[in-house]
Parts: sequence; structure tokens; C-alpha cells
Amino acid sequence: MKKRKFVSLLLVGTLVAGMATVTGCGSSDGKSSSKNGKTELELFSTKAENKEVVQQLVDKFNESHEDVTIKITAPADAGTVLKTRMAKNDMPDIVMMGGDNNYTEVESAGMLVDLSDQDYVSDIQDSYMQMVYDVNKDKEEKAYGIPYATNASGVIYNVDKFEELGLEVPKTWDEFIAVLDKIKAAGEQPLLMTYKDAWTSLCPWNSIAPDLQPDNFTDDRKAGKTTFAKTHEEIAEKYLTLLDYAQDDFMGLTYDDGNKKFANGEAVMIINGNWAINQYKNSNPDVNVNMFALPASDDESKNYVTSGVDVLLGVCEGSENEEMAKEFVSFMMEPENAQTYIDDQFAFSAIKGVEQNNETVAGVKEDIANGKVANFPDHYYPSGFDLSALTSELCLNYSNGMDNQKNITQFLKQCDEKYDIANVD
Amino acid sequence: MKNKTAHKKPAVNKIYYIYVGILAVLFFVFHTIPFLRGVLYSFTDWKGYGNWNFVGLRNYLHMFSDADTGNAYLFTFKFAIIATILVNVISLVLACALNAKIKFKNTIKAFYFLPYMLGSLIVGFIFNYIFANLIPDLGKSLGISVLSSNILGTNHAIWGIIAVAVWTGCAFNTLIYISGLQSIDTDVYEAAALDGATGIRRFTKITFPLLAPSFTINMVLSAKGYLMVYDQIMAMTEGGPGTSTTSIAVLIYKKGFGGGQFAYQSANAVTLFIVVVLISIFQLRILEKREEKLG
Repeated sequence: MKKRKFVSLLLVGTLVAGMATVTGCGSSDGKSSSKNGKTELELFSTKAENKEVVQQLVDKFNESHEDVTIKITAPADAGTVLKTRMAKNDMPDIVMMGGDNNYTEVESAGMLVDLSDQDYVSDIQDSYMQMVYDVNKDKEEKAYGIPYATNASGVIYNVDKFEELGLEVPKTWDEFIAVLDKIKAAGEQPLLMTYKDAWTSLCPWNSIAPDLQPDNFTDDRKAGKTTFAKTHEEIAEKYLTLLDYAQDDFMGLTYDDGNKKFANGEAVMIINGNWAINQYKNSNPDVNVNMFALPASDDESKNYVTSGVDVLLGVCEGSENEEMAKEFVSFMMEPENAQTYIDDQFAFSAIKGVEQNNETVAGVKEDIANGKVANFPDHYYPSGFDLSALTSELCLNYSNGMDNQKNITQFLKQCDEKYDIANVD
Repeated sequence: MKNKTAHKKPAVNKIYYIYVGILAVLFFVFHTIPFLRGVLYSFTDWKGYGNWNFVGLRNYLHMFSDADTGNAYLFTFKFAIIATILVNVISLVLACALNAKIKFKNTIKAFYFLPYMLGSLIVGFIFNYIFANLIPDLGKSLGISVLSSNILGTNHAIWGIIAVAVWTGCAFNTLIYISGLQSIDTDVYEAAALDGATGIRRFTKITFPLLAPSFTINMVLSAKGYLMVYDQIMAMTEGGPGTSTTSIAVLIYKKGFGGGQFAYQSANAVTLFIVVVLISIFQLRILEKREEKLG
């Protein structure tokens, strides 16, 4: 009896082992190129919104290269997927990702090739190249990632309503408040907030903080030389002031529903980014919007456009087709292709001379071209530091009627505590 | 030929062994090994990739000083206790009602079973819409201020999630109770009726005690399920507003994968496993003792 059990177990064991080998082969087959004599490269993209235009560009590349095919992988929750693949040492050939803390993790693990010696590096706007250096490990000034497309966050306004109410684009905080008051007095909804999706509660923060936080805050905070509590009080105050102009139930409105409402003229302004414009146009093709930098300071020169590296290109270390991968990056950097990309995405290009001419973002175009931009502050926070949960809590307390001063003190204390926890590991 | 017939019985046994064996191996490979690896990683500082070192009990000790974990446990227990009680009370009432001689019994049964067939993400998204649009509109038109904002964006978000979890959970629990009720011999009821036990008295003295096995299963399974609540929350609030609806499972996912705390959250997962096992054993002990007493 016992012997028989052993035999059957052995049988099953072999069966399963066999299965494992088959799957093993399957995965390595997918990776190591060569299909019908063609070399296959994998392009891993973390942005779902640009899949179509990237496919279009990839097709163009594939057509002009007979021996190469590039295949796009763009899974949901791509940042996490990329990290798990990194764990398995199963990296793609090319990555297209944001210049955020996901990039830092990939770069600091030594997964990317230094592209500093490539010709196109000199065509890139300095401010964006610097943003990539800033998120490199130890701020190393090497181009492991090539900034490609950039985004802009600020105040998006309904142009028709602005004209109707006789408003001008505000340049300082006081002017901004005056505009908000005027809209309120006219019986319109000044600001629409969609904080049911916690990440949108970060948008005003990301626009206010760069204007008002001390220089070198991110470095000093990392080194433990300063705290949020000491430096961010004004930022939190102004953040809460804006909530006074939000609609009722701003904690219950989702991003998607809010975008529809804004597109249909239910509010005059919304604080978000250029990536949302597509959504407005989809809900209401006739909506006439434009954008301006949130003027958080009364010193006009400090009111930066919040603009970060939305997409950067990188070539993975250890790729069998490194040269071809580099060629693809250089193909993408050609002004014509970069233009195709940004036109489709309402985005901005990191390449000098490639300009976004769409009127929906005309208000921030000049500042971006002049480099009057500040990166999203949360790109510099440690990845375990989930600020959106804290801002969401700040807003929840506000809507529950908590005293502002108490709320701010508690919030900033939490920021420091959570930052320290995330900064250790 | 003769020989073969003599060995017929063991030959059948072999098939069973193979069936069980396959499942055992699959279970071991896809469940036990990953679990054991998770336990191993909980003693390291692994971020999910790259190099790692053993750090002993550091991750486990860190849990005691981490307010996020503490709050998540509080939320999870609160949620699990309320949801388990509500689900069991409501499904017991439903089951009794559905077991009575009423018209359209099967149609109504199908209605109540429907939520079980829908994926919890779908249910979550549907209720997201209901909470965000239908209920506030209703609240506004009736002039009730509590109902006129999206409950998922307030301090009471937990009740929104509980409502959905209970609505979905009742389907399966009711089913178990109905089958329990159907296994009760009608003679017992007749005898009880002769002795003058009807209504509530019949329920507390006859029906409920005889449902003991179903009650045990339902209590243990729902407590276990709600302690590990994840998908409803991800579909409806993603742990917000703030961190007010972050359950342990949501915390493990968000911080473990998104926040690079893989090892630390593995420790958290191991702890959750132990907590769930202990609670289940505790429940089984008590409830089985009760069954024995009643039996």
C-alpha cells in the first residue's frame, strides 16, 4: 500500500515537474527574440493613456526596419508589474515610464543603461534633464532616462465662463482669491474638486508647494535637517483656503464624474493637469478650456508651472539587443515623431523646438518653453510615503468642521511621521 | 483474469490517490511554497527585488509602533464583527422567510442569490454609482442632509462598505441556512406544535438549535472572509477617505507592492494569517461545543 502511494506520488511529481519545464520554456521563448528570423524587442510602457499613439510610432519604426519587431507591453498597475519583473530579472529591452519614484527604484537597482553619449541628449531642455538627474540615485548626472514627454498641472478654466464674467487670468495669490470671490458672487461654482479619488487631492498641493516651500526642501527633509511642520504651514493654509470655494460633497465626487460636470460647465475652474483635457473633450467636444499656473505666491516670479517628466525612455541593462533599443530611442526623439506624440496627448515635449500648439494649454506654453517650471514635489518623496492619503484626511477633517489650525498642525505632524517611516526603508 | 478481479479494489484506490495527490502537489506548489516563502521574506528586508538580508524579528516588532497597521487592525475588526453579525442575522431571517410556504419562493430565492453570482468588483462599482449619484439625489429631493452627500466620502464610509458586503454576503449564508432548515424533520415541528411551541418560541427552542451546524459554518466562514476584506474596499474607496477604510489586506497590498515594503508587509500578512487562524479555531471550539451540547 505504502509503496503504491509512493509510486503515484512520484508519477504526479513527474507530471507537475514536466509542466513546470514547459512553462519555463514558454517564458524564455518569449524573451529571447527571433521570430521568423526577426529580432523581437519588448517595449514596456507604464502609461495606459498613450498606448495608441505609441503603437502608431512603433508601427512606423517596424516598417522601416525589416529585421526588427517591437512589441509593446502595457499592463494595468504597470509600476508594480515592472518591479516584480525586476525581482525575477526578467526585464524588457526598452522602458517608457514616468520620471517618478518608480523610475528611481529601477534606476537605483542598476537596471538602466547610461545614454549620456547619445547625440539627442543635447537637444533636451535643461530643466527636464535636471529633473531626471534629481531622481537618479545620489543625483548622479547621467542620462539613464531620456525625458520625452512632459505634463503640466495647474488650474484649468472654462474660457467662455471667464469671458462671460469678465475675469482675467490671475498672476498672484491675491488676484486668484479675488477671481474666486467674483465667481462666487456671480452665483457660479468657482472650483470643482473630485476628492473621492484621493490622488486628485494632491493636485493643488503639487501646484502650491513648489512656489512656497524653501529651496532645497526635498534634500534637507531627506537628510532630516528640516520638517514639514516648520516649513509647510502656509502651504497647508492656502490648500485649505481653496476648499472654501469647492462644491458641496467634494469628498464624494469621483474624477470621472467631476470631469463630465466640468466639461458641461457646472464649474468655472478645476485644479488638475493636461492629462484630463482629453476627458473634457470627450464628454463635451465644444468645451473651451485653457490653463494657467496656480499662483500660490504673491511674488509673480515664484509662480511656477508644475511640470514633470511624464514619460521618459530608457534602455535596459543586459538587453541582448541594446544597439537596436538605442536606435529606437533615437527614432522616438526625432522632432517629427515627438510632435506626433504630444499632439495626440495634449502633452509637452522635453525636446527643444518641439512645441505644443493646442490652445487648450496655451496659457502655460510660454512658461514651459522658458523653463519656468517646477517638478511635482511628490516625485521627490520616498515611494512608501503616501501623501494623498494624508491630504485626503486633511480634507475629510475640514468637511467635518474641524478647526483649521488644529487640522493643519495635526496634518503636518503626520506628514513628518509618515515621511520618516517611509524614508528609513 | 482471475488475478485481476482479485486486485480490483486496490486499483480503484490508486485513482483516488492520484486525484488527491495531484491536488496536494498543486496546492503545495502554488499555495504552500509561496506562503512559506512569504514567511521567510517576513524575516528579511527585501523590497520586492534586489538584494536582501535577514533582519530577525525587526519587521514584527516594527508593527507594534506603526500607527497605520494599528488603525488597519482596528478598522478590520470593527468591520468584521459588524458585518458577520449583520450577515448572519439577516440571512437567518431571510432563510426562515424563504423556507415558509410563500408564493414565488424560487423566484425570490433566485433574486437573493443573484449578488453571489456577480463579482465583488462589479458589485462595488455598481454601488459606487448608487452612492455617488442615486442616493444623494434622493436625499436632496427629500431634504435629508445625511443622505445628500456621497457616504463613501465621509467618516461613515465604513457603513457604505458594510451595506454592500452584507448585501453580497447574505446570498451564500442564506443558502446554507435554507439547506439547514430543509434538513430539519417536519415531525419535530409537529411535536412542538402539539406541545404549544409556536412563533418566536419555536424558533429559539427548536429551529435555531437544530441549525447549529449551519450556524457554525456561517459564523466561521464569514468572520474569516471579512477579516480578509479586500476587493469591496478597493472597488469602492481604495482605503479612503484618508486611511479611514484601510483594512489589513488593503494595507498589505498598497504598502507592500506600491510602497516597496514587501518584507514588512509579509510580516503583516503572516500576522494576519495567525490572527485569522486563532479566531477561527476559537470560534470552532465554542460553536462545536455548543453543537455537542445541543446534539
